[in-house]
Amino acid sequence: MERIIMHIDMNAFFASVEQQSNPALRGKPIAVTGSDSRTVILTASYEARAFGVKTGLTTWEARQKCPDLILVPTNNRLYTHVSSQIMKILHDYTPLVEVFSIDEAFMDITGSVSMFGSLERICYLIKSRISARFGITCSIGIAPNKLLAKLASEMKKPDGLTIIRNEDVSRTLEHMPIVELCGIGRKMAAKLALYSIRTCGELGRYPAERLKMRFGIVGEKLHQMGLGIDDSPVIPAEEAEEVKSVGHSMTLKRDIRERADILRYLLQLSEMVGRRARRYGVWGKTVHLTVRYADFTTFGKQGSQPHHINLSEEIYLAAVKILDSLELQHPVRLLGIRLTNLQHQTSQLPLFPEEQTRLKLTEAMDKVNNRHGDFTVMFASLLDQQEKGSHVISPAWRPEGIRNVAVA
Amino acid sequence: MEFRIDKEQFLKALQKIQGIVEKRTSMPILSNVLLEATETSLLVTATDLEVGMKSSYSAEVVATGKITVSAKKLYEIVKELPNQQIVFSTKDNDWVEIKCGKVQFNIVGLSPDEFPYFPDVKEESLFEIESSLLRGMIEKTSYAICTDETKYNLNGIFAKVEVKQDGINCLKMVSTDGHRLSIASGNLKGSVGPELLKGVILPKKGIYEMKKITDEEGGMLLFGFLDNSAVIKRGDSYMVMRLVDGEFPDYNRVIPTANNQVVTVNKENFSHSVRRMAILSSEKFKGIMLEISDNGIKISSSNPELGDAMEEIDVEYHGDPISVRFNARYLLDVLSVAETERVDMRFRDELSPSIIVPENSESFLAVIMPMRL
Repeated sequence: MERIIMHIDMNAFFASVEQQSNPALRGKPIAVTGSDSRTVILTASYEARAFGVKTGLTTWEARQKCPDLILVPTNNRLYTHVSSQIMKILHDYTPLVEVFSIDEAFMDITGSVSMFGSLERICYLIKSRISARFGITCSIGIAPNKLLAKLASEMKKPDGLTIIRNEDVSRTLEHMPIVELCGIGRKMAAKLALYSIRTCGELGRYPAERLKMRFGIVGEKLHQMGLGIDDSPVIPAEEAEEVKSVGHSMTLKRDIRERADILRYLLQLSEMVGRRARRYGVWGKTVHLTVRYADFTTFGKQGSQPHHINLSEEIYLAAVKILDSLELQHPVRLLGIRLTNLQHQTSQLPLFPEEQTRLKLTEAMDKVNNRHGDFTVMFASLLDQQEKGSHVISPAWRPEGIRNVAVA
Repeated sequence: MEFRIDKEQFLKALQKIQGIVEKRTSMPILSNVLLEATETSLLVTATDLEVGMKSSYSAEVVATGKITVSAKKLYEIVKELPNQQIVFSTKDNDWVEIKCGKVQFNIVGLSPDEFPYFPDVKEESLFEIESSLLRGMIEKTSYAICTDETKYNLNGIFAKVEVKQDGINCLKMVSTDGHRLSIASGNLKGSVGPELLKGVILPKKGIYEMKKITDEEGGMLLFGFLDNSAVIKRGDSYMVMRLVDGEFPDYNRVIPTANNQVVTVNKENFSHSVRRMAILSSEKFKGIMLEISDNGIKISSSNPELGDAMEEIDVEYHGDPISVRFNARYLLDVLSVAETERVDMRFRDELSPSIIVPENSESFLAVIMPMRL
C-alpha cells in the first residue's frame, strides 16, 4: 500500500516564537542569536530575511544588511516548551510522529486520512491549531515517502502546503537541483557535479552500477534518491536509536589561554555532562575533549578510562589529563566535553566509605540542582565563573532521549 | 660462551620465564633473557624490573660467559627443535648460534652489560612457608585484585602477619577492587621478619608468578624480603617482586560486624543457580536479585532485551525477609574458591556490604557490596 508521509516544518521557528511572546517584535525584522555576544544568527524572521539576513551570519554582517535589525538572545527553554506542545498536537493525528529536530517532524498519516476525511483537512486542522495557539505558521509537505515529503515542505515557505503525488514524482524531480534533497550536502553535490549530475533527474538516470563503484553503498542510495525512492519508516521517538554520547560544548565569552581559566570551564562542562549522564543512568568509558582556537581550528582528543564513569569529578580529571597531553598553540575559543562508549548499568555500590560519601554527595547535589536549577549548588572554584549553565536546548520535547542539540 | 643442554630441560627453563619478560617493547633488554654459563651450571634470568626470576640448571659448560636474547623467540625456537642435545654458543657482536642435530639458528642478541642489576639472595634472611598454604591463600584472594591501574595501591595483595594471643603467627592476605574484598588467613610456623608484621603489598603480576611456583609441587618454600622486594625461593630458582609502594586501605572498617541475617546454602547448588540466572543478566542490566525469606531464596534476573528467569532454593532462614541485588560474577568468584560444602551468607540490609564465609571456617572471608535495587 502506498504510504502517505507528511513533513511539517515551522517557519522561522525561533524568531516566530519570539515575535509571538513579545508583541513589540511582530512585523519587524528580528534575528535570534546565541546568548553571548560572539555568536551568529540562529534564525531570522521573514521580515529580516527580506534584507538578506540569514542563519550563520555574524551579528555584524547582519547589521550591515539590515541596520534596523533587532537582535534577540536565544531563549532555549521557551522554544523547547513550544516545540513539545506542537509535537503533542501532531500526536492527535497519528501515533507515528518522528521528531526530526526542534522545529520539524515527520508523520505517517496513511491510516489517519479516512478518520479525518481528507489529507487537506488534516493539514488544515494542524495548521489552524498551531496558528491559533502559538501564532506560528508552518510549511507542510505530503508525499509517498520521507525524502519527498521533506522536499515538498521546502518548496513553499512560509505557510505552504505542497503535495507530491506518485504520478508527479518524476516531473517534480526532473529539474530539481540535487542539493535540495535532504542528505545531499554541498560536498556530495560537488562530487556528483564531476559526473555532470546536477538535477535529481540526472541522478536517477545515471547508471546505478557506476554510482556504486564510485560511492559504495551510498551509490545505491543516491540512485534511489534520484528516483525519489525512500523506504525508510517514520520512527516514533520511543523506538529511536539509543544515544551514543552525552556531550556539551561552549563558546567562551572571550578567548582564553591561561590553564586555570581553561580548567574552570572544563569543570563546569564536566558537571553539565556528568549531570546529564546521571539523569539518564548512563556511564561512559571514553571522554572526548574538543578545543577550538580563536581562528576556528577545531580538534579533539579522547581518552579511554579504566572503568565506566559518570561522576563530574571523574569526567573532569579525565578531561584535564587529555588537556595536559595537548600543547595549546593559540587562545581557546570553544571547549567541549563528550562522554561516549555508554553503558546503562544498575549501579554497583562502592565498598569503601569515602567512595560512598563521594557518591552520596553527588546525589545530594543533583537533587538540589534538579529542584532549584542548575548550579544552585556547585564546586566552589566555579563561584566566580561569569557564564553558567547550558547553551544547549534540553531535549525536553523528547523526554526519554539524550539527543543533544548544540546551539551557539 | 658455549654450553650444551638437554632440549627438554632448556625448554622448561625458558617456559618458566615467559610470563615475566616485558611484553611491551619500551625497553628491549627487558624482553630478553639473560643466560649465564658458569663453571658448573647455566643461570637463566628474566625481569621486567617489577618481577624477576633467576634459576639455575645443570648444563655442560664448554666456555663460560653470558649473553641476552629475545626470550620469546628463543622459546619458540627451542620448542620446535628436535629432541636432542642443544649446543648454544656466542659469536662476535652479540650474535648467538643454536645448533641441534642438523638444525642451525643464528640470532642476534643484546649485550649482557645492559641487563638490569639482579639482587643476590641470602638464604638466612628467609623463612619457611608451606607451598600449599600459600597456594590456597593466593587462590582465595587473587580474584578480587583491582585491575584498574590508576588505583595502584589496590593492584596487589596486602599481606600481613598478626600475632595471636597464643603467640602463633597468623598470615593474612587481603585483596579488594573497591566493590568487594577477600581475606584469607593461615597460621605460620616459625618466625617472620618485620616487613610482614607491618604489612606489605605484593604486586599482581608477582602474585600470579608466585602461584605458578606453588602449583608445581608441594613441600616448603622460602619467603622473605630484600630491599623493597619480596623474595621467594624454591630449590635452585628464586623470584623477586618489587613491593607496591603505597598505602593499602584500612580494610577492617569495611568488614561488617552486625550482619545478623544469616542464611546457609549448599555451595554447588547455589553456584549452579547463580550461573543459570546470570545467563540473562547482560552487560547493560547486570546483576541478579536474591529475595530471602522463610520460604527460601528466590533468585531472579531480567533483561529487557531477552526476558526474565527465576529459581527458588529451599533453605532454612528465620531472619527478616531481605532483598538484595548482586553482580553475579562477584558471587561466583567467591563460591568457586570457597572450599567447604556449604557457605554462610550474612546480610544486614539491601544496601550494606554482605559477607560470604565457608561454613565453620576461619580461613576465608569475602565481603561483597550489593548493587542498587
